[in-house]
Amino acid sequence: MSKRKAKTEVKVKRTFAQEMKKNWPYYLMMLPAGIFLFLFAYLPMPGLIIAFQDYNFVDKFRSPFVGLKNFEFFFSSDYAWRTTVNTLVINSAYLILTTFFAVLVAIVLNEMKGKVSKKIYQNAIFIPYFISSVVVGKLITDMLFSDQAGGVVNQIITLFGGDPVKWSTVPIAWPFIIVFAHLWQVVGYTSIVYLASIAGFDKGLYEAAALDGATRFQRIIHITVPLLMPSIIIMMLLSIGGMLRGDFANIYAIIEDNGMLFKYTDVIDTYVFRSIKGAAEFGTTAAIGLYQSVVGFILVVFSNWLAKKYDEDTALF
Amino acid sequence: MELRKKITLGDVLMHVAMILASVICLYPFVLSFMVSITDEKSLLVNGFKLIPAEFSTVAYEMVFQDGSIFRGYIVTIFITLVGTVLSLLISAMAAYAMANPRVQYRNAFAMFLYIPTVFSAGLLPWYLVCTQILHLGDTVWALILPSLISPFNIFLMRNYFKSIPTSLIEAAEIDGCGVLKTAFVVVFPLSKPIIATISLFAGLGYWNNWANALYFINDKDLYPLQYMLFRVEQLIQDVQKNGALSANMQVPTQTFQMATLFVTIGPILLLYPFVQKYFVKGIMVGAVKG
Repeated sequence: MSKRKAKTEVKVKRTFAQEMKKNWPYYLMMLPAGIFLFLFAYLPMPGLIIAFQDYNFVDKFRSPFVGLKNFEFFFSSDYAWRTTVNTLVINSAYLILTTFFAVLVAIVLNEMKGKVSKKIYQNAIFIPYFISSVVVGKLITDMLFSDQAGGVVNQIITLFGGDPVKWSTVPIAWPFIIVFAHLWQVVGYTSIVYLASIAGFDKGLYEAAALDGATRFQRIIHITVPLLMPSIIIMMLLSIGGMLRGDFANIYAIIEDNGMLFKYTDVIDTYVFRSIKGAAEFGTTAAIGLYQSVVGFILVVFSNWLAKKYDEDTALF
Repeated sequence: MELRKKITLGDVLMHVAMILASVICLYPFVLSFMVSITDEKSLLVNGFKLIPAEFSTVAYEMVFQDGSIFRGYIVTIFITLVGTVLSLLISAMAAYAMANPRVQYRNAFAMFLYIPTVFSAGLLPWYLVCTQILHLGDTVWALILPSLISPFNIFLMRNYFKSIPTSLIEAAEIDGCGVLKTAFVVVFPLSKPIIATISLFAGLGYWNNWANALYFINDKDLYPLQYMLFRVEQLIQDVQKNGALSANMQVPTQTFQMATLFVTIGPILLLYPFVQKYFVKGIMVGAVKG
């Protein structure tokens, strides 16, 4: 009844003035959210114009135009290639490994019989999600991968007869450490997402398979995994959209300003942050930002299109 | 079910794997706490050890002796409370308006919310707007306002409000309730689950946010806890300068760092057992959508 009423009411097209007169309280309720979103998300957009300017602090957004010079400068420097590759590599590792371990944990937790032990495990692996990236960074740089012989990893190395490593001078170790830190923080969280979809699977399938003599391993491989596949694929496809967005807070909390480690850990966002901090080369920085936004936008549209192609019902919102 | 009473190799393997995973997740917390109550000298000799060779609370005494950590608590509690309440209020109102099918431009507004999630101007223009146009630099608002709106949360709330029977809203309106009164007296109290979930996520976000302080705050009096931890070397210098306990006493660097770390995450660890189930529920609400 109320549904039909709602439908007929929508059909009545009002002019803007009529609509405002009738429904103004609703628009008033949207206004604060609209204003804040406008200030912090829309107002910066025209600022991308400085990608085409030689920015200086006197003229600000009215600095002289220099055409595509900033882009030429950025793309001919080593930074363009290096930051793009690092961003893509770290994000791909995040995506693939997080999905793998989260699915694994979800399946194992789902198969567990003891309700109490299951709860304990779940609570334990969920905790790291609650702490800030600063805490993660401190735990890693000052304790686990500390340069001193007393650092946790160095203690393990010495235990097996190796020599302690001065981690802050070994660039290649840090992308792995960053990915490990990320997994440590989000696997528990992500496994809950998959556990939620496993909980919705038809129990009858499992019972039928058990009657036919399928082992537990066979039930996992032939029922749980195939049924999970759509959600795994959708989650992965949608993640392609964020591939060029750097994980700034986490990476900067771990690497800070240790230039020696930039080779494999400097992503677009950390590069941009350094130039903001140094208050230098804003034109080039805006150019790299624009490149990130535009390619990022194309990736989002592309990943949504792919996800929709894979499953008709999928839309982001 | 009764058939599966005997313990198989698979069970054992699963438990071993999960115990290992749990230890990896908990060990850094336990170890850092143990380090924070170890005597610095024995730490330098023995390295990080799970059982303190020599017990000491000097690090905590020094952390609390300096007033900065209390100021950090006040700043963090202020931004967490004000940020969460404002964010929730603004988001819930917008979501309520968007959930009503009689509102003609609700989808246009949804589009307005959606666009920034796919196209963002990036860090630099955002930073320039915040500092040069809105002049948020070195104000407490820089820690609250930029992260006030999450389009995703608004969409989650809108979907929840949509599930509330229209008849209830109509009944309230017939009884003479205005739009705002209907929202606050009828609909929001019925939406406690989603409101609780979103406020917990928002609160955690504010408590843990340090990047905004990194971008905008130079004034030490405005440092939130997490940023204080990030700048812990500076904190150590200050404590040293202000006369640490006795004049010629060195601040124990490593144990001080770990003590500060524990002081900043203490409230979260204490609340964790009580709130984690709401977070699990919240993730599931989001999961159903995604």
